[in-house]
Amino acid sequence: MSNVTHYLPVLKNPLLLRSPWSRLQKRFLGRPTSFPDYFQNPIFRKEDQAKLIENSELSKLAAVPVRPPAVYETSSVYHDPLVNKVINHVMEMGKKKLARELVEKAFENIKRKQIERYHLASSPEEKAKIILDPKTVLHRAIANSKPLLQLSPIKRGGITYQVPGPITEKRSLFLAIKWLLEATNEKDRTIHFPEQFARELLDAASNTGKVVKRKQDLHRQCEANRAYAHYRWQ
Amino acid sequence: MALCFSVKHLFPISKCYVKNIILNNVCKYTSKNVPTTNHALDNMTDWETLSKKKKISKAMKAYLERAKEHDEFMKKQEFEYKIGKRHLANMMGEDPETFTQKDVDRAIEYLFPSGIYDPAARPLMKPPEEVFPARKAAEFDEAGRPHHFLFYTGKPNFFKLLHDGAEHIQQAYNFEDKVIRKKAVPDPNGELNIDNSIWLTKEQLEQVLVESITDLEYDNFKLLMERLISLPYAYRHKEFIEKYRKPLVTQRFALEIPKPSYDDEGRAFVTTYECLRKKARGDVTIRVPGTGKITINGKDLTYFEDVQPREQVMFPLFFTNMQDRVDVECNIEGGGPSGQSGAIRWGIAWGLRSFVDKDMLEKMQVAGLLTRDHRRRERKKPGQPGARKKPTWKRR
Repeated sequence: MSNVTHYLPVLKNPLLLRSPWSRLQKRFLGRPTSFPDYFQNPIFRKEDQAKLIENSELSKLAAVPVRPPAVYETSSVYHDPLVNKVINHVMEMGKKKLARELVEKAFENIKRKQIERYHLASSPEEKAKIILDPKTVLHRAIANSKPLLQLSPIKRGGITYQVPGPITEKRSLFLAIKWLLEATNEKDRTIHFPEQFARELLDAASNTGKVVKRKQDLHRQCEANRAYAHYRWQ
Repeated sequence: MALCFSVKHLFPISKCYVKNIILNNVCKYTSKNVPTTNHALDNMTDWETLSKKKKISKAMKAYLERAKEHDEFMKKQEFEYKIGKRHLANMMGEDPETFTQKDVDRAIEYLFPSGIYDPAARPLMKPPEEVFPARKAAEFDEAGRPHHFLFYTGKPNFFKLLHDGAEHIQQAYNFEDKVIRKKAVPDPNGELNIDNSIWLTKEQLEQVLVESITDLEYDNFKLLMERLISLPYAYRHKEFIEKYRKPLVTQRFALEIPKPSYDDEGRAFVTTYECLRKKARGDVTIRVPGTGKITINGKDLTYFEDVQPREQVMFPLFFTNMQDRVDVECNIEGGGPSGQSGAIRWGIAWGLRSFVDKDMLEKMQVAGLLTRDHRRRERKKPGQPGARKKPTWKRR
């Protein structure tokens, strides 16, 4: 038996190797904290998958590794990426449950108000105009509050000019949601968030209210500063 | 001397034994005039003819010495590995002749159980070729004149690769010009299929080239290859391109689908053990036919108080339209609601493979339901407040 232990030293610990070759050894980390780059993003919505089947790309995509969907993503018809985005903007200190409750409460308020208005409307044309689905209201509100231009400060000859320029889709969406939430938080302490948020959304969806005015102000200022536009490239 | 040092570190248990052998060997090396009769390494390098040449440059001499030392070292390692393997086989009570590397790994794991976090730090016993990377053969002749035209770049193999790549790009351009001049259309059949593979990583490329390269050089390599495959006639250089690509792992989801077993009531069931996500672990049983009853640790879906984890549990069932055709039973422990629901989601999707057709399997794969989420919480690092967070910057 002593002989056996004598020969076992072939066991090695590569991390202790101090030879010039140890540099080349690869270090495997047991549990990575993210997926490698070649993992594709998942396509889990039914309508997106239907498109893939039409183009007959599905089996091609099935051959490559795919990331799992995140905890907030489902293929359910109630899942909406934009609503998720808004929930994340409403969230403070990682309290997602509360943020989701607030947004859903706001949706409930919208629904109540719209149904009330629906029953008060007299003619069928007026009734047809009222949007009953809160998610459609949210989509419209955000589309109406998205700015098309932005002002960026550019310093020329010691003077800072507010120069108008195009805005990216992502920033425009960010500004729209940010403005909606800022307008909501300018409320009295007695009014609760869901109530005010519902009001702001309904206002913006009908192209009126603080947020739409803010967007139009920005557009007006961009128009006024168009003389500086050349500073963007000069 | 460096060799001695490393070897000592390798074999801390039997220091004296190794030292003796090394001393013996060193003695052998220094007595150069004595021709060693029992050379087992003749198949590796032809020492006899090389050492007989009169005019040998100093570089060649040094190389020969180093190569000889290395070969001896590798031979000894090989010998020790074989003996160690035989002893391991005897200890495990198996036949030494049919003892494979897989058995070795198993035996080591059994005899030296290790809870070390990083697998690279756990004890291992591998053939010496895997532990010690390959070394280059002589790059110059006896007179000290290099063989390779890029020898003086310091990294001949790497720069040869870049040179070849550039040449292939030039050829592709020339061919394109020729086709345009003839007003022909590109061959529709000739297509480069690169979806299922990725470029070699830096470490892999280093092993192929037997040279260490910097990050910048690796970026240059990638830039060049991306340029090459972006050309319309890149398929003509398929062989060259595929040399530097690694195929992605094969699909596991369609293989090894378990056949369902049958319980007392005659219902088919499949149990998935080891459903892991974050710190949660559990098992999921799926029974067909069912009525959509879900049992989690003896409770129904209200086991989860929030909506989000409930949605996660239902995700694969709604996705496959099986929500009222199967019964699900899960036992889950550890972690929080998010981790537990994620583990159940994967368990249900993995178990449903036995009850859906091939098209649905592909859909589930594209939806990412069959991918195990193996991410774990990243550890906190010393000297900083979190895993990635750094202390606030202060001027002084």
